[in-house]
Parts: sequence; structure tokens; C-alpha cells
Amino acid sequence: MRRADQITGVIVLIFSLAVIEGGRRMPPSGTFGPGAGFLPFWLGAAMAILSIILLVNATREPVQASDRSPFPRGRAVLAILETIGGLAAFILLLETLGFLVSIALLTAFLLRCVERVRWLTTATVAVGNAIGMFVVFRMLLGVSLPKNIFGF
Amino acid sequence: MDIFSNILMGFGVALSAQNLLFCLIGTIYGTLIGVLPGIGPVVGVAILIPITFGLNATTAIITMAGVYYGAMYGGSTTSILINVPGESASVVTCLDGYEMAKKGRAAPALGMAALASFIAGTLAVILLTFIAPPLANVALSFGPPEYFALAFMGLTLVTSLAGESMVKGLMSGIFGLVVACVGVDAVSGEERFTFGFLSLLDGAGFISVAVGLFAVSEVLCNLEESMEQIFIRAKFSLRSLFPNRQDWKDSLAPIFRCSFMAFFLGNLPGAGATIASFLGYAMEKKLSKHPEKFGTGIIEGVAAPEAANNAAAGGSMVPLLALGIPSSGTSAVLLGALLVHGLKPGPLLFQTSPEFVWGLIASMYIANIMLLILNLPLVGLWASLLRVPYKILMPLIVTISAVGVFTTDNNIFDMWVMFVFGIIGYLMRKLKFPAAPVVLALVLGPLVERTLRQSLTISHGDVTIFFTRPISAVLITIALVSLCAPLLRGVMDWRKKVVEIS
Repeated sequence: MRRADQITGVIVLIFSLAVIEGGRRMPPSGTFGPGAGFLPFWLGAAMAILSIILLVNATREPVQASDRSPFPRGRAVLAILETIGGLAAFILLLETLGFLVSIALLTAFLLRCVERVRWLTTATVAVGNAIGMFVVFRMLLGVSLPKNIFGF
Repeated sequence: MDIFSNILMGFGVALSAQNLLFCLIGTIYGTLIGVLPGIGPVVGVAILIPITFGLNATTAIITMAGVYYGAMYGGSTTSILINVPGESASVVTCLDGYEMAKKGRAAPALGMAALASFIAGTLAVILLTFIAPPLANVALSFGPPEYFALAFMGLTLVTSLAGESMVKGLMSGIFGLVVACVGVDAVSGEERFTFGFLSLLDGAGFISVAVGLFAVSEVLCNLEESMEQIFIRAKFSLRSLFPNRQDWKDSLAPIFRCSFMAFFLGNLPGAGATIASFLGYAMEKKLSKHPEKFGTGIIEGVAAPEAANNAAAGGSMVPLLALGIPSSGTSAVLLGALLVHGLKPGPLLFQTSPEFVWGLIASMYIANIMLLILNLPLVGLWASLLRVPYKILMPLIVTISAVGVFTTDNNIFDMWVMFVFGIIGYLMRKLKFPAAPVVLALVLGPLVERTLRQSLTISHGDVTIFFTRPISAVLITIALVSLCAPLLRGVMDWRKKVVEIS
């Protein structure tokens, strides 16, 4: 965790400086008492101090040969990226493809490409999930869901 | 007398057909969440917020409280049968539960888990009934400084207890407060951190953030591990589920001890059901005449943590209802749900919405009875659910989360917020930053900021206002001590070293 904590410390420090700067641009005090920028400024300051502590603590830790990255390698990275990508594509296409098609596609993608489930199971679960969610959200709960140009 | 007439009124509310039905749905769904590894009560409740949006507030919260309890009951089934905790509060139950199952005593272990949960859950609701109203009365005299001190103490205790490193816990908490600042400042009307997005004027949606941080990130983390399970097949006839006389003799005292300990622990911010179950197990091991037998499959080892996690779940409802301050991740999400439904949590809740508060409390008595029935005769059904592979569940969790978030406001933007916080949550888990403080801070943020600024306005900018009023002085001192504790320990270690060298 040593190296990972060092990198995190630097990133959080930059983030907290941005928060401080954001807070400084807001009025520090209102007509009565502290203004909009008061809390963000001090939160940023506290976060900056904590990130420096994290950085110093991590650097003071002895270097270990076994200091491995907490992040996975190989197949798992691919699975994670595929899931994130699939979800992003789903959000982007939801209003174009409509609710039913998007849900079925996302389910099928996650089952087939990420989890390597058999085709038959994939198809059954994907269709079942889309219809099931439609019944629950549209018919039972009366939520209006995005439709495609064909109206479903 | 007042309490009795109130609780009767509460039963009047809770026993309506609609509330009974949704209480049942909540407990069934909660047990399901508890049984399935990989989704815990926080996610279960967070997903429900948008789904129950159309219901009236009382019914919606009754459903969600049922989920919280149900998860506590259901988690033990998974622990006992496959040695994988169904949710984090059932981790300890694995130790003796799975050993009992290996010895062929799965049935009484499951039965005792359900019965211990029932006894502890019911005791906790009884204590809640009598403790919450007077506490709310005391809190009525609180002004902004007291409220700030209370929220501040809650935040520091949670952040300093959650996770392995206090620095990381505090960073999570502050991050949550920064996220809470997003949107239009309620006092001055100034826009903060909206980056020009209209949808952010109302703030980053609480549901989107919670679902992202807990559900999406959990799915991403699970992709790394193979979620295959070794399932212990066991036959359960109703009779075999009932523990025998000796089992009862061994378990009754631990159940009662753990219930009381965990209830009061659950009242405190920061100590949720998970910590309570660990402490309950450790306490019984200390008190036992044969501590060496713990971990070899003895029934107390199942009864103690299961009683503790249910009592703690009940205990965490006390500060939530009486003060409007959540004490754990799940109760933070419940508080968010109260806000979404337009209720104003706080000591006035008992006066402004008595039907809601007492209906909810009464529903907890009913939920416990429902859960006992669901988890004793029907435990075989839940056990068979464990054969559904996680591979199939994963896409369902993702799609339900995304659509649930979308339906809160019919807004695509909310799904992007969930998406971003899903990735942030994943990174946080990997880097060992606890996620619960973020949600807690996000819920408490507006209260913290408002009361802080009000207090400083009253005192013309003088910070000593927090120390000159007795209640706030005590609370702030507790918070500061909890922040300084590791520092003091460091000084002690250093002194010890100096003494050793000299």
C-alpha cells in the first residue's frame, strides 16, 4: 500500500487545493455571519492537511519488496473495464434505444462478455430481466420510462 | 401511559392492509438481500428509495426498515451454509455456524440464528419504544450549537471507527461534506461546485451517490473474485430446526447479554451491527467457561453474534428517530429516505408526525414476527436460492441500480452521478477508504453547515459558543478526544520507547 498511498496523497492534495480555491472564490462572509465559501474553504484546508499526513506516513513506512498494487491485473481488469464501458454505453443509448432494448442489451453484454455465461442462459435472462423490470417499473409503479422512436 | 396509547395508535397504522403488505414485501426482500452474498442492507435500502417513491412516507419507510431487519436475519443462512457472510454483520456467524453445519447440525444452527434474531430484535424494539420519546424531549431544548456538536460528534466517531486508518476515515468524511456543498447554498443562494450543470443545482442526488458508492462499486470489486461457493446440503424439517434443551441452556444468557450490549452500542454513532456482532462474540468468549470451544461449532457462537447484530440494528433507530442523527451506513440511507419523502427528521418528529413514528415502531414488532416465520419454516427456500450463481445476479444488480436511480427524477444525469461515484467507490474500496462516512457526511452535511453558520452568527463569529454551553461542550469534547486518541497513543508509545532506552 506504500506506493498506492503516496499517489493517493498527492491526488487528494491537488483535489483539496482545488476545493480551497473554489471556496476562496465564493463570498467568505454573508450579511450576517459566515458565507457560502466558509465551509468549503475549511474543508479543503482540513483535507489538505490529512493528505499531507497520509503522504508523510506512507513515505516513512519501510519499503517492502512485497509492496504490491492493490489493483488487479489481467482478466479482472478487462472485466471491470468492460462493465464500466457497458454501463456508460447503456446510459448514453438509453434514450435512443428505449428502455426495453437497452436493458436487454446491457444484461446480455454483462452475462455473455463479462461473465462468459452460455448463450442460451444469456438470452433467457436478458429478455426476462427486461420484461420483468418493465412490469415492475412501468406497470406496477407507473414510472414513465424512455422510449425509442418505435415507441417501446 | 402516554407511550401505551401512542403505541396502540401505531399498531392502528401498521396493521392497515397496505402497510402490512409492504412490511411483508420489505422483510422478504430484506431476507433475500441478506441471504445473497455481495449485496448488503445499505444497497438494498438505497435501491428501494426510488422504487418506493410513489408510496406514502410511512409505508415507504416501514418497507425499508423491514429490509434492514430482514438482512440481519437472512445473512446468517449464508454464513452457516456456505461459510460466506451474506452481509458484513454475519461475518462472525461463519466461525461457529459453518463448523456446526459441517458436523451435520446445520438445522439447529439456522433455527437458533432465527430465534436469537427474533428475541434480540423484539427486545430492541421494546427498548426503543421507551427510550426514544424521552430522548427526543430532551433534544427539543437543543439550539444550533448543540445540534452542530451532535452532528460533529456523530461524524467524527463514525469516521474514526470506520476502516483501518483514521486518516483515511476522516478524509472520506470530509469528502462527503464537500459533496454535500454541491448545489445552491441554502443560506446565501450562492452556487457552489456546480460546474455549469443545471442538474447539480439541487446537489448531487443522495440516492445516486449512495447506489454508486455501494452497489456499483461492490459489483466491480466482486468481478475480481470468483464467487463460487461450496454449499452444504442439509435437510430441514421444521422439527429439526428447533434447538434442543441443552442448546437453549447454552444460548439464552448470551442472547440476552448480547441484546442489551448491542442495543446500547447501536445507539452510539459509528458502532453499527457489524462491530456489535464482533464485540458480542468476543464478549461471550471471554465470559464462557470453555472459551477454547468457540470456533469449533458451538451454538452460543451462532446465537451471540446473531442476537447482537439484530439488537444493534434496532438500537440504531433510536438516534435516527429521536435526534435525526444516523449512527451507521444503513441508517444514514434511511435518513436520506426520510428527507426524500419530505419528513423532517429530528426531535420534533414525534410531535409533527406521530402516526409515522409510532406506525414505524409498531411495524418493527410485526416485522420481527414476520421474519421469524420467514426464517424458520421457510429457511429451506432461502437456502435453495443460494444455488443461483452470482454470475446471473450481477447484471440484475447493475440494471436495477441504474434504472432505480433514473426513476427518482427521470433524469439521465443522475445515472452519470451514480456512474462516477461507482468508480470513486471502487477506488476507495481498493485503497482502503471506508465508504460509509461519505454517505453519512452527505446526509448530515446540510445540518452541519446550517447549524455551524447559525451558531457563529449568534456568537458574532466567536467559536467559544460551542464550549460555553454544557451539552455542546460535552459532545464536542467527546469528538475531540476521539480525534486525538491515536495521537495520545503515539505519545505513550514514544514515552515507552524513551523509558526502555534509558
